[in-house]
Amino acid sequence: MPVTVETPLEKWTGKVREVTLGATRDQKGTRSKTVTVGGETTLPFLHFEGNIPHPPAIAIEVQDSYPSDWSPVLLNAWGDTLKDPAEWAKKAEALGADLIMLRLRGVNGDGSETTGAQAAAVTKAVLQATGLPLIVRGPGQAEKDNELLVAVAEAVAGERLALGLCEDKNYRTIVAAALAHGHLVINSTPIDVNLAKQLNILVSDMQMEPDRILMDPTTGALGYGLEYTYSVMERLRIAALTGDSMTQMPMICFTGEESWRQKESKVGEGVPAAWGDWTRRGILWEAVTAVALLEAGADIVTLRHPDSVPIVRKAIEQLMAH
Amino acid sequence: MSENTFTVTFQPSGVVARARAGEILSDVALAAGVPISLPCGSQGRCGRCKVVITRGEAERKTTVRLTATELEQGYALACQTRVQGDLEVFVPPLEEVIVRRLPTERGAERAYELPAACDWAAKPTLRKVHLQIEPPSLLDNTTDFERVSRELARQYDIRNLTVALPTLRRLARALRDANWDVTLTLEMGTWTNPDGPPRLLDVAPGNQTQTLYGIAVDIGTTSNVVYLVDMIAGRVVDTASAYNLQISCGEDVISRIIYAKKPGGLEHLQRLVVQTINGLIEELCARNNIAGTEIHKMTVAGNTTMTHLFLGLDPEAIRLEPYIPTITHPSPVRAHELGIHINPDATVDCLPGVGAYVGGDITAGVLSSKLYTTDKLSLFIDVGTNGEIVLGNADWLISCACSAGPAFEGAGVQSGMRATIGAIEEVWISAKTYEPTYRTIGDAPPEGICGSGMISLLAEMFISGVMDKAGKLNRTLNTPRIRMGEHGPEYVVAWASETRAKKNDIVITEVDIANLIRAKAAIYAGFSVLTRSVGIELADVEQVLIGGAFGKYIDVEKAIQIGLLPDMPWDRFHYLGNTSALGAYAALLCADMRQAVVEIANKMTYLELSADNTFMDQFTSALFLPHTDTASFPSVMRLLQSVGRQSQETQ
Repeated sequence: MPVTVETPLEKWTGKVREVTLGATRDQKGTRSKTVTVGGETTLPFLHFEGNIPHPPAIAIEVQDSYPSDWSPVLLNAWGDTLKDPAEWAKKAEALGADLIMLRLRGVNGDGSETTGAQAAAVTKAVLQATGLPLIVRGPGQAEKDNELLVAVAEAVAGERLALGLCEDKNYRTIVAAALAHGHLVINSTPIDVNLAKQLNILVSDMQMEPDRILMDPTTGALGYGLEYTYSVMERLRIAALTGDSMTQMPMICFTGEESWRQKESKVGEGVPAAWGDWTRRGILWEAVTAVALLEAGADIVTLRHPDSVPIVRKAIEQLMAH
Repeated sequence: MSENTFTVTFQPSGVVARARAGEILSDVALAAGVPISLPCGSQGRCGRCKVVITRGEAERKTTVRLTATELEQGYALACQTRVQGDLEVFVPPLEEVIVRRLPTERGAERAYELPAACDWAAKPTLRKVHLQIEPPSLLDNTTDFERVSRELARQYDIRNLTVALPTLRRLARALRDANWDVTLTLEMGTWTNPDGPPRLLDVAPGNQTQTLYGIAVDIGTTSNVVYLVDMIAGRVVDTASAYNLQISCGEDVISRIIYAKKPGGLEHLQRLVVQTINGLIEELCARNNIAGTEIHKMTVAGNTTMTHLFLGLDPEAIRLEPYIPTITHPSPVRAHELGIHINPDATVDCLPGVGAYVGGDITAGVLSSKLYTTDKLSLFIDVGTNGEIVLGNADWLISCACSAGPAFEGAGVQSGMRATIGAIEEVWISAKTYEPTYRTIGDAPPEGICGSGMISLLAEMFISGVMDKAGKLNRTLNTPRIRMGEHGPEYVVAWASETRAKKNDIVITEVDIANLIRAKAAIYAGFSVLTRSVGIELADVEQVLIGGAFGKYIDVEKAIQIGLLPDMPWDRFHYLGNTSALGAYAALLCADMRQAVVEIANKMTYLELSADNTFMDQFTSALFLPHTDTASFPSVMRLLQSVGRQSQETQ
């Protein structure tokens, strides 16, 4: 006798918010397209249970000056492109990126401190070089972040950039600049559901609309606490789906930065032969980390190596097929 | 005269003003030069602008701060009242408004009452008897002690008298100096030997049976309190308190235990607490014109570590897994063994605890709060350096302890102080100007901020927008009161010129705020974990009994606003004052109460939070104002929305 097995379905009441990055000419921006993420009504890729209206997006990381501290594997792969952020962004678009993440290093190639005007100029140059929406991150020091991001926000008002990172100790200035000039913000908290929610509340209390907030839950790389990352992201997503509005922001994970920081990707000499080919290892380390985080609920992953992009893209296509 | 303007007459000044229809009454008053206090910045929150509308029509936008009786009497909040016709308005003097609030909203100061009826006089633990004794002679050469024993048996039917060496050494001289007309002080029993035999503590000349004293002592990690008790009338005669001198060796029990490990450390800590208590005894004796030796019994309530340090017991094992004290039910000791300056032979009785982190202060608190006799599901919280929490009723009791730090006792905070004269204990902050209005204990010039002041201040800074929900000051606000200080960003509560010493501004720093938020989060997380551990919701708790060294009162409304207490109807909260000292007082006076403490200690289950994997999560969740789970604090969310400080989305 044939047995029919009914798939048990969870009835979620909540939904991840849809957040749109970039603005086209009609929307007072200059992008050739916008990218919308979020909108899920179920856990990652459970198409049989709910809606996943938008595929996760891939952002390629571009830095405003030559990243001499990067792994030689990355430096070799990109070559001289790394010396020109605009050229770099153009190439990233050609590689199939959905988004560009411009990282302001805070220090120029000649060792001088980046000024607000310089940050604004490089942002404009990157915007001109590509039609993709832009994420702009500061160097990660509160005062410098505020100075540079305010200048950027002002210079390209209306572009719906995602500006970051807002942290609990330093969010007011960035949020105010994003509010005033029509951008989004990225809230970053150290790998804890409560802390993520708290910062979302603080930023919302400044009247920032929740559909202009992305959250970075802080993630690890493969072999470096990825399991804990996974569990926190899963808890955040479950909270969002059970209706907690202050956890319903889409998640962005800075995968490239995390995975290329690890010894496996960064170091090629003096490591066990069993580790295999360095370049291949580095690329796979990044791609595997990215796919794991997508499975945990990431809506945007940022990547560094050109060859990781097609691997992650293929995985997304397969995960979205149903 | 235009149709839409009205006449408003202010009494008792008699000032007459013109007002447009719909104009806010406080604006009319201020324009006309009639002073009205608006501490909360015209938000209708504080109730300080109460006026009486004696004649005419006005619309009251909100009446939150007014009782039904007051509404009937015509009271209105000037900042929330629209003029709708000609009015006559009586403006009460500010002091009257404040005084009116205290008894109705916050409860008057508690009397030192016993938790249950107890016939302590029927079976007293201490007695004084007057004896006139036939002097010895060649015909009757019985020894002094036997002579006293014989007379005691003959005149009072008290037999089997015992005596310890210190008293025995003084006996011969005392009897002869008094010409054999003496008052004996006797201890009739202790909790270990309730039926005696009686012990001779003191021999005083003449008839001194009118006075008999004992002391009840609360040894807190931060504050020590001594009650002087008249053992004949059964009343608390006087009280004194001071910071525990051990604070110089560490602010919490853990750092004290670590200090005790140093060479000579334990002895030093023991000396310091004895010195603190002796200082308080001296103060009480001087004020009440008695000698220390006239105090014949001492009952002590302290947490387990404090009790260990007081007795000079090695506390090391309390700190280390599996957290084992030397003893929880110490036997009675003598005052001279500890160096306490009362009668050297007097019994010092330390009340029993439950475990490493739930000590005699909590069993005393359960006693004095009457938690052990109630049918209602009750939550008892002793807010001190350790926040100890007990849940239960007459049938069952479960407890836990969380380290809150000394912030709510006014210690470890830059401008903190104990709840004494000159302590700021209530604050309002205008949401428009960010200017504070405060009230001090005794209405004296301010010297610092006490625990209840901290709660009030924190709530006001948060509601008015001076700081965000994470406790960070909003430095973009246009006020000189928010500034960079020596220890980072700070808010000025009182300028130096307003203070008694006229030297330093009274400030609260972001570091202080973080300390206070951690303290309240630890306590709230304790509530959450304890209730969940027995499978009930916090909302099911029928009454919340609060003890602690807050001073006269704790403002429940403000404590809810910062998420220290759960968001429940205010009438479920009862502030009981220093429950530890009150419990010690009951146990000092009454043998049955002393027995009840033993039963409480034996009945109580202890939940070790460090072994509970949900505590950290609950703690982080509570490290926010009022709480990350905003749905648990609906009244605070409504308030924030009403003052425009809450995005709709956060709900």
